[in-house]
Amino acid sequence: MDSRAPGPGAGRRAPENAHDRIPDPGSRSPQVAEVQAPARPPQHPKYPWPEKPRLIGTRISRLDGPLKVSGRAKYSYDIARPGMLYGRILRSPHAHARLKSIDAAAAEKAPGVKALLITIKPGDKILYPGEEIGALAAATEQQAADALRLIKLEWDVLPALATVEQAMRPEAPQVFTPANTRRGTAQEDGDLAAGFTAAAHIVEGTYSTQVQTHTSLETHGSVCEWNGDNLTAWVSTQAVHGTREGFAAGLKIPQANVRVITEFMGGGFGSKFGPDIQGLLCARVAKAANAPVKMMLDRKEEHLVTGNRPSAFARVRAGVAADGKLTAFDAQTWGTGGAGAGSDYPLPYIYTFPNRRRTHTDVYINAGQQRAMRAPGHPQGCFVTEVLMDELADRIRMDPMEFRIRNLPAPGPNAMWAKYFPMGAERINWKSRHVTGDPAPGPIKRGLGCSANRWGGAGQGARAHCEITADGSVVMRCGTQDIGTGNRTIMAMVVAETLGLEVSQVTIEIGDSNHPFAPGSGGSTTAAAVMPAMRVTAGKARDALFERMAPQLGVPIEQISIGVGTVVVSPSTRDSLPDGPAAARSGQPPASRSISWRDACRLLGTVPVSVDGQWERGLSAGGTSGVQFAEVEVDIETGITKVKKIVCVQDCGLIVDLKTAETQCYGGIISGLNYAVFEERILDRNTANMVNPNMEWYHMAGPSDIPEIDVVLVDQPERGVIGIGEPPAVATAAAVANAIRNATGVTLRSIPITPDKLLAELQRAGGTN
Amino acid sequence: MDTPKPSSPLVNEHHCNNLRHKGMYVMSVPDPDEFKFYDRYDATAYWCTCTQKALGPDGLSVHPTTCKPGGQRGCCE
Repeated sequence: MDSRAPGPGAGRRAPENAHDRIPDPGSRSPQVAEVQAPARPPQHPKYPWPEKPRLIGTRISRLDGPLKVSGRAKYSYDIARPGMLYGRILRSPHAHARLKSIDAAAAEKAPGVKALLITIKPGDKILYPGEEIGALAAATEQQAADALRLIKLEWDVLPALATVEQAMRPEAPQVFTPANTRRGTAQEDGDLAAGFTAAAHIVEGTYSTQVQTHTSLETHGSVCEWNGDNLTAWVSTQAVHGTREGFAAGLKIPQANVRVITEFMGGGFGSKFGPDIQGLLCARVAKAANAPVKMMLDRKEEHLVTGNRPSAFARVRAGVAADGKLTAFDAQTWGTGGAGAGSDYPLPYIYTFPNRRRTHTDVYINAGQQRAMRAPGHPQGCFVTEVLMDELADRIRMDPMEFRIRNLPAPGPNAMWAKYFPMGAERINWKSRHVTGDPAPGPIKRGLGCSANRWGGAGQGARAHCEITADGSVVMRCGTQDIGTGNRTIMAMVVAETLGLEVSQVTIEIGDSNHPFAPGSGGSTTAAAVMPAMRVTAGKARDALFERMAPQLGVPIEQISIGVGTVVVSPSTRDSLPDGPAAARSGQPPASRSISWRDACRLLGTVPVSVDGQWERGLSAGGTSGVQFAEVEVDIETGITKVKKIVCVQDCGLIVDLKTAETQCYGGIISGLNYAVFEERILDRNTANMVNPNMEWYHMAGPSDIPEIDVVLVDQPERGVIGIGEPPAVATAAAVANAIRNATGVTLRSIPITPDKLLAELQRAGGTN
Repeated sequence: MDTPKPSSPLVNEHHCNNLRHKGMYVMSVPDPDEFKFYDRYDATAYWCTCTQKALGPDGLSVHPTTCKPGGQRGCCE
């Protein structure tokens, strides 16, 4: 079934000749008419999106799918260079300690060891488990691991902070300078006292979300190889140009001396935007060993030091009037991003509390530091707000969806929740929802929940280079990267669409800092940054081809256009007139003639078309909205939750590839499911060491845990391309939590909702109903 | 043609040359509507190119409010 639903501007793509046919504002729906810039439709680009696309918006499988499933795709982890050594990093076993002494003599002499670096000195402190102490390179992985164990370290172990509660205690040791906490955001708007006075009901509670690690399937790391003063690095990164800059800055060498390659990449989710310490250490030991070195982290290192989503806590007091309008919101929030890193998040999220106050405190603990993670801050704010919304709806005995719609901000193309909620409700059978607490007999309780999300997703700045050669080959080069999203495929779709070809006829070369600059892939901006560059550059290449063909065909360039696999030469206006010369000769109006793509390109001879292009305004935008619904079954005897179904209604502007857009939603929803009921970094409360730094005890959904996922993509072609990587990951956890609440009748204000938490809460509540 | 620059509402050219965050590599376009849906917040993960961590060479947190040349931190450039 086609999962695409028409958006408010369905059928109104920005036309090819947009400057001639500007859409009539009066023809828009009231919602579209209220849009504010930059959510407005494109602004007369020279190469607008086609009005009747042939490929864009269809369902095309990933071009690199066969390579990946057959193992032929070479990730950084797979790179093997002649004479390559294996690097390992020496890490702190303690959360907080001062180094007394270090003796690496035995390790330096160990079999196979070619280079060893120590990066701290006696007297230095470490502040979290896994913090880097040094690195070495050896001929084999085992020799590298063996040599690390020969390094003798003596420590003064210092008191460590394992939890926010420990760090915030008045008597807590001061581990961080100037303090273990930092005052963050402080906001106040409206009249809070008046808001609470107007409230018919008030809900108070403390909500919390856990630390979640990125858990990318391909770990962080690189292969570094020097040729004199020039470094080539194969890096698992979300930003080949950004990582080039990071190597240059960290190693104090010119960027011109660095080349970063990322042909395939196994996930980053926001945690891979530079060389990192391991990249710089890899380059340094490679230089010292005078040999290429592979230094990829293992799963434990991934959990400890390569980033995470911060925890979030919120002590909230909120009010609602008898008519179902929100009146007041007052919150103190805090959380930890680890050692010295922040933890802020948006709150309240989406819904309009006219009178509100919030103060946030960053809490530092002795644990690995946070990094951007798929929609930084949004899942936290969404969870806190959306669970609160269900509680408030119950207080006034209103349907939670109707309650949400009543309190939404003004609608627009980037704020379509009022339309999407009923769409999702239909597909989840919301009308079958019972009031909070499943009244059905037996231990299996069923429930439904919903939530909303928003994101930006507007990008810019990508550049590209296109060649068309006499044999008909088309090569598009761009220094972007495919981090697993399908970027390579949608690039080929846009180029093929523009040149009238099939995607298999287009070669996309990406993941190399020697290609034209493109920004890093983060913030869901890649599609919006790169697709316009593809459209413009391919359009310029097409025009250049026509310019070369026209004199050889003896026709004006205006008479040449693109067909499907062909170049079409149309008759001139004069020829096509009834009294024109051609008509006079034959008695018939002259027909268009098609030249095959290959024959057309043959006219190029030995000199290819070679053009540069870049992102231009008017082909992309930002601001997405979506809603999700969850259906769950909870066994109140075991506390086990089975998520049965997720409905996702999501927009992302012009949908380029329906299939890859859907898979972005699948991935995001599974990530949100993990956040709801599985994933949690657990630290030993005494040592601050992570007790589950693996993929056995750090729980994630397996295939049998993944529910039916029903994705409805709302097409908004008039807005241009908008990213979709992050928004689907935001709302799932809140929808699942609300469905569990609806099923069981108890409110879990803390995720992950594990069986032990649920059973404890059920026991406290005296059972269900 | 103008060349877009990375945009960030939080960091400007007055910060230390060694301060980094994702927004310096990702060229997003700010949505002026964004703060109709929630208040301003800062979920940014900052790091220092010298340490590659959220703590600078002086052991203090990396943050645009304190990582400024001429400020109290001797490590800033």
